[in-house]
Amino acid sequence: MAARACSHRAATGDGAKSFVVLLAAVLGGLRAAGGGAGLRRALRDFEAQVLERAAARGLRRHLRPAPPGLPEPPLEPLLEPLLEPYLAGRLGPGERRCLARLCAEMCRRCAPAAAARPRVLRLLGRRFAELHAAVPGLPLASSRVLPGIVLRRDFAVYCPTDGELRALLVTEPLRPALTAPGVEFVVDSEGQYQASLRWIARRTEALMKHLQSNNVKLLLSSAKQEEVVIYYAKLYGVSVVECLSSEEMALIREITGVCPYAPFGDNMDREITETAVVTFCQPLLLASKRCAHIGFTSVCAFQPHCLILCGPVDGVNEQHAAALQEAFTMLQQLFKAVHQREEWKAEGESQSKASDVCTWHSSATQKQLVIENTCNSNQVSECQLKALGDETERKILDPDKSDLLVHSQKNHGTAVLVAHNTDRVTACECLDAGKGLEKTCCRIVPFKQEESCAGIAQDCPNCLIQAGSVLPVGGYFEILLHYYIQDYAKQCQQSEIIVVSNVVADALLSIPKALYRTAERDGFTKFYLETTNLLRKNQPLPVNDEGLESVYCKYQLVISVLHCVTELLSIDLVIGIRRPLQKIADHDSEDDS
Amino acid sequence: MSRLEAKKPPLFISEPLTRHAVSQSLSLLSGILKSSYGPAGRLKQLHNGVGGCVCTTSQSSALLGHLSVSQPVLRVLTASVQNHVSHFSDCGLFTAILCCGFIENFRSLNIAPFTVIKISKHLLSLCMDHLKSEACGCRVSVDFSSVETLVCLVRSILTSKPACLLNKTEVDHLTSLVLKAFLFTVPCHVETNAVLGKCVIIPVKGRRVEDSTVLPGLLIEVPEIQLGKPLAVKRTGSNMIKLALFSVSMSGDGFNPEEGTIAVHHGVSLEVSELNQLLSVGKQLVKDEVGLVVCQKVMHPSLKQYLKENGVMAVDRAGLCLMEPLGRMTGSQPIASIHLLSPGCYGSLKDLCVESFAPKHFLHLIPEDTVICSLILCNRSETAWDELKHVCETAEQVLRLTMKEPLALLGGGCTETHLASYIRHKSSILPASTFKDLDCSQTQYQLVTEGFCHSLESVARSLSHDGEEILTDMVYGHCWFVPSGAPCVSKWSDFLVSKCGCGMNGNTEDLSWRFLRGQSGSPVIQGCPKEPSVKVSDLLTLDCFAAKCTGLQVALETANLILDLSYITEDQN
Repeated sequence: MAARACSHRAATGDGAKSFVVLLAAVLGGLRAAGGGAGLRRALRDFEAQVLERAAARGLRRHLRPAPPGLPEPPLEPLLEPLLEPYLAGRLGPGERRCLARLCAEMCRRCAPAAAARPRVLRLLGRRFAELHAAVPGLPLASSRVLPGIVLRRDFAVYCPTDGELRALLVTEPLRPALTAPGVEFVVDSEGQYQASLRWIARRTEALMKHLQSNNVKLLLSSAKQEEVVIYYAKLYGVSVVECLSSEEMALIREITGVCPYAPFGDNMDREITETAVVTFCQPLLLASKRCAHIGFTSVCAFQPHCLILCGPVDGVNEQHAAALQEAFTMLQQLFKAVHQREEWKAEGESQSKASDVCTWHSSATQKQLVIENTCNSNQVSECQLKALGDETERKILDPDKSDLLVHSQKNHGTAVLVAHNTDRVTACECLDAGKGLEKTCCRIVPFKQEESCAGIAQDCPNCLIQAGSVLPVGGYFEILLHYYIQDYAKQCQQSEIIVVSNVVADALLSIPKALYRTAERDGFTKFYLETTNLLRKNQPLPVNDEGLESVYCKYQLVISVLHCVTELLSIDLVIGIRRPLQKIADHDSEDDS
Repeated sequence: MSRLEAKKPPLFISEPLTRHAVSQSLSLLSGILKSSYGPAGRLKQLHNGVGGCVCTTSQSSALLGHLSVSQPVLRVLTASVQNHVSHFSDCGLFTAILCCGFIENFRSLNIAPFTVIKISKHLLSLCMDHLKSEACGCRVSVDFSSVETLVCLVRSILTSKPACLLNKTEVDHLTSLVLKAFLFTVPCHVETNAVLGKCVIIPVKGRRVEDSTVLPGLLIEVPEIQLGKPLAVKRTGSNMIKLALFSVSMSGDGFNPEEGTIAVHHGVSLEVSELNQLLSVGKQLVKDEVGLVVCQKVMHPSLKQYLKENGVMAVDRAGLCLMEPLGRMTGSQPIASIHLLSPGCYGSLKDLCVESFAPKHFLHLIPEDTVICSLILCNRSETAWDELKHVCETAEQVLRLTMKEPLALLGGGCTETHLASYIRHKSSILPASTFKDLDCSQTQYQLVTEGFCHSLESVARSLSHDGEEILTDMVYGHCWFVPSGAPCVSKWSDFLVSKCGCGMNGNTEDLSWRFLRGQSGSPVIQGCPKEPSVKVSDLLTLDCFAAKCTGLQVALETANLILDLSYITEDQN
């Protein structure tokens, strides 16, 4: 359950808490309805027969329509209304506005052209670690967006220059070596030895001269360079930044499109062409640490900018950075549309899962639940999963003690996790979830994730939810979907689908209920009655400017939860085994015991 | 196969601030910090029961660095203050005491953290706008064309740490030295990107503070120099001394530790070969009329001897720290190769002499035009010297920060009481729409405001350690001290010391004073606290503007962070 919640979050950047709340409500509802294989089968039919219709015919009427004629939804006016409520679920009340503003500014400045936004957002999400620099000890208000890239190390050599210059990427030491591993250098005479050393020095000097004559004034090296290289670089006016991480090198390559330069076996007279254009190159003082601040001319749509993120302590900065990184993932979802999975008329066909609806499990990674604890087979002590590429999350799930603790490896620096109002609500819900699941969890066996990856049908009639659709935050999505599911369920003949429809419709309300828990009494009931009254009278919903949320993310959440429920209900036995399961074809595995 | 250990479940603490242990640790920490604050602060002796050094101090960085804080909540606080100090060197205790004050005052309010944070953020923005406005009565602009305010600033920093054990004449002496050293580091010819130089502090322990001095250029300690003999240094045609600086080892055993093997035929000696190369470098140096050779690492004795015989002074083991200032001061390029010497690497010196500060001898490198200087800092005991060094570094850093933003804040508690009066006044005239914007009631706003002002005033109150009463006036909002035991009468002016905490206001008119104590409601000043028209004293107590402003922001941000904690999850593995 926790693994699925996290993989959903990794894909959409949002909704891990809602996932657990909704899942618990659906499972609870199904158990109350008597469970059984019939309901499990009905879940699939429900999705095609009721849910998609409710979304396409009911929900869609209330969505803010994307202006016609534009290929991409205009992100500009949506940025801050989307980001603020998003960050509200992750950060303290004093920080969200400031960070939403920074995040929006970063988006705007990195992608001035609207058409490039989806690609740039993807890059921001992927490379955010290299695109921000955290400064502990300063107030958040000192954070700012700077043009260019900040490399978090000082120049090994800094030669001030004016105007545009060229930069070279290198990955190996530039000083020729006398010997190499497995190579023997035979010294015949003292003269020969000294001559060789002199040749090495001359060769290093000649290389620097060559760089200078090619107007290369900046050397970016992933390798540590010898002192003598630094010395000649300084003599010939070449600035050097060394020990760049492979991620930083990859980012620079992505921005500038250049490949690392290989000096050896190379004709010294040849002109160096593999250079990046740098508009400025200067030291930047961050928290009394000097960093290299470099402005690259981009060859792609991404205009390089760097976020200087200030906060009183490192842990807070890490938390802010993680929230922003996920915010970029969330914003990407805005450009996605939900498509109809199959023709509604072709009922009964259930094995087809080919559609982009299922992007969240598009990776072919095998997911497994590893059951380690043998003394109590009722406990799923740890489930590990490798989700979507490189991010691995760890969770501990202990239904017996009825608490769910999600611990992200990223935050191990400080043992303090800041929990906010919303978190508290979720934690409470988790308790219920744990209780409700005791039985279900007992019967988990290692499962294989069916994978799906298919072409996207772009024709509009097939489109359930258009790209760029948004709704006001605060439970409108859930109430709308609740209302229309019930509406369409009435047209259904199969009694099991009607039962499932009612269970899901009621479960959807658990999310606005949780949101209103901290507000005054009857807050939810009031809100529910007001909204459903408007719907019955076919009146438009009140427009509030408090904040917006992406309908794609929300709809994805419902779909993901339904799939997870189907999966959980398919498990009939949990088998405890003595040895941990070996991961198949896992190259990054550290423990080789 | 490694043994598998059962994983412990994480420790899960809800509502940490309501726990007794946390509030007890917080008040203990706050007590330690408050008692160390200011010129009259009590010293803390840090020592390990096993033995080793003893450190007597009242600095926040030393205190927070050595205290073992087990509560995660408080670790956030100490880390935050330490980060602030690493950036600004100053106002660490201010930030820490203020942060503790915010937590203690806001926690007792029984208002939802969400609301408290919103209101306190608003109050902070009022403070920051006031501090940044021209009309602000608690800041003074620093005029770099005269030395007066700079002296006040440095003196306030030197006197704020009693563990330096300085008397008045020593403070005066050191103030002028620190200022002189700072002025040395300012370049005379300003280009577009002026970079300040460096002041190297040289320790001489066991001597009087008055023996401290500041010299332009750099000092290199030389143990074996012969005193009394005049230094015979070779000079170039323009009467300058040419200098070569080596960053590479010249000991003759500098074979590159490369991977792979080197096979040496019988009769071939790499050592001899290396030495020959070194001597040929020596020959080149002599030919190029170099007068002084400085090597970061070790120099071969034969090379040293050769250079000496040819009238070239050689100094080795200069150390990495000196290389950057040496290069900058002399315009020389540290040479990293003994195979190719480029004449462009040499630098120049105006003069060279020997300075003695018993028991140490130094070679004094005097440049033509410098931004590098050396502060020879003396103090009697080891621990007092450490404290003094830290204070001098803080003063230098504060002067640098002040140069960027030529402003200073009033010290002696006056900024805090002034800000508190300003906030009280300002919040009493807020339009009703503010409460709506902040989504709070007027009562909630007033309660948080009172907690905010009370926290600020508690910093001013921490300056008193001998039971003095603290008052604030209703005109300027400054801070005043009365000796303990003064009778409670309405005419305070008879008992008050002649001027306020920062020294700007005199006790000449009736300023309607009131006590700063307890939580009880304080009367609100009718108008905005005024800016005094006449300064009473030239010896103002001043604080660094940048450090204090940021300290205020960091303190509130950290306090809000802590107040907002609902759960702590601690990994016990």
